[in-house]
Amino acid sequence: MVDTLLNVLWFLGIFFVGILIWAALSPFETMGWWAGWFGDTIYEEPVPSDGLLRRVHSDTTSYVLFLSGVGRTSSETLSHRERVFLEHLAHVAAKTVIIDDVFPYSVNNLSLTAQPIFARFWRRALQWKQHGPRFAGNLINLRNIFQILISIDKRYGPMYNQGVAEVLFHGLLRYDYRPECEMPVFLVASSGAAQIAVGAAPYLKELVNAPVYVVSVGGVFGSDPGLLDIDHIYHLYGSKDAAVRWSNLDAGRWPISASSTWNRAKRQGKVSEVCLGAMCHSGRGSYLDFRAKTATGQPYVEKTAQTVSAVIDKAIALRTSLEPSTVGGEITEAQI
Amino acid sequence: MFFAELPSFGQTILQALSLEPSIYATVQRHPSGFWVALAVVFLAGLSEALGQSVVLFINQIRPKRFAITLLISATSHLFGYALWAFIVWFIGVRIFGHSQSFLMTASAVGLAYAPRLAAFFVLTPFLGNGFSLLLSLWSLLAIVVAVSAGLDMPMWQAVATSGLGWFAVQTWQRTLGRPIYAMRNRIEKRAAGRPLQFTLKDVARIRRPHSALWTQWPEQLEPPSGGKARGAIPPSGYARKETPNG
Repeated sequence: MVDTLLNVLWFLGIFFVGILIWAALSPFETMGWWAGWFGDTIYEEPVPSDGLLRRVHSDTTSYVLFLSGVGRTSSETLSHRERVFLEHLAHVAAKTVIIDDVFPYSVNNLSLTAQPIFARFWRRALQWKQHGPRFAGNLINLRNIFQILISIDKRYGPMYNQGVAEVLFHGLLRYDYRPECEMPVFLVASSGAAQIAVGAAPYLKELVNAPVYVVSVGGVFGSDPGLLDIDHIYHLYGSKDAAVRWSNLDAGRWPISASSTWNRAKRQGKVSEVCLGAMCHSGRGSYLDFRAKTATGQPYVEKTAQTVSAVIDKAIALRTSLEPSTVGGEITEAQI
Repeated sequence: MFFAELPSFGQTILQALSLEPSIYATVQRHPSGFWVALAVVFLAGLSEALGQSVVLFINQIRPKRFAITLLISATSHLFGYALWAFIVWFIGVRIFGHSQSFLMTASAVGLAYAPRLAAFFVLTPFLGNGFSLLLSLWSLLAIVVAVSAGLDMPMWQAVATSGLGWFAVQTWQRTLGRPIYAMRNRIEKRAAGRPLQFTLKDVARIRRPHSALWTQWPEQLEPPSGGKARGAIPPSGYARKETPNG
């Protein structure tokens, strides 16, 4: 009995050390790209338009780049909930080009299943994720979480976030974005992708030369130095979402850290926090759930999409108004 | 002469990491103990160099140069170790009056580098600083245990020897040792093959050239009314830019 317990502990110890080694080696992908070891190519895996998403309109007023949660392996989403959300968003934000075929967990948009050495492993991990064992499928989430940690780390963040900004800019150009038009860009990011959005947004702003907003849907992000350069950040959260509290792992998000970029951005009026009601982070009752309904009978996903659309409309309206300094401000339930 | 049996290399390291005093005594009495200690110091140097390699990447060093620079850094680690072992031996023998050969002291001190084998964990994103602190404390404890076991001295003398040794090394680095460290830096820079002009502090204000974007989308990136194209960012090297918020 004691021997079995010791064996289990030994196995867990080895597993834990293995994960730590993997985490320690994870920045080499970003650093190698920065040093030019892997070339300058930005990989493309465009997903054909379904008539709603990834469609350029004649009267386009803004662009949305959707950065999905940590479960992705490529630029194509496999989440049914995400697809439903984006379709709802496309309906309510009819003049917005919605781009979702970018892979924000890679500095050059290279999907995991196309990596030169580990492609077979990631394909297998994807099979595990879809058909079980689900625990093994979490390796994809873990790998992408390491990329989020890279994005927030002061040593690697500026490198990683520049790479992602280029990938996002490349995504915009693929859908006829004209930098000289100064059309506003909205980074709609869920979960940990919100960190990547706030990290990459300032660099993207340099490339597009236009306003860049971040819309975090239950986002987890730190007090990134880039927060002050973003035109505005709208943080949508649910009262039952425990995961958003992970943001507090970064001491800069604590109210006591008065000089942190997060608190400075809040004081400068660059942050709007909007409660979406009793929504949780993922699964049933989450922001993207199409079964759970609000007290008025509106599906959660519809409410989330409507709120995102309202945020986009408000930001555009305020930008075109006479007082550009008021862009942002508090969004209330009544306004939505 | 009786030699206590030295466990396998892996076991020796595990026992050294768990601060087992007997392994430090064993390694200094075994004929191959010094070589084991030297291997630990070299590998620890390699791990430490890997942990500090972010600067090499920031400066866009090529893969072959990267490997050479790491090897040089690990080798220079051996000189630092020799100095450290000599100072510990000198204090132990001259100040506290213990009789121990230099080689035996050096074996115990070398094995005390074992915690630094994990120095590359400093690379762990977001958690690296925590690891750095943990490793520093661990290394400090290991050197005290090694000195105590290696020179067969009571714990307070081991703490005093380690403290005085640390002070002596710091003084050496800032005074007489400066030309030697400057030479090491020159060799490392030469091995890198390009000037290591950027440090970690610079990373937030440097920009990588976007050559792929400029070649794929030239017409979109051309400004509407003449002027300077975005592609004017140099195709190689860095474009520097100050951060908007200092």
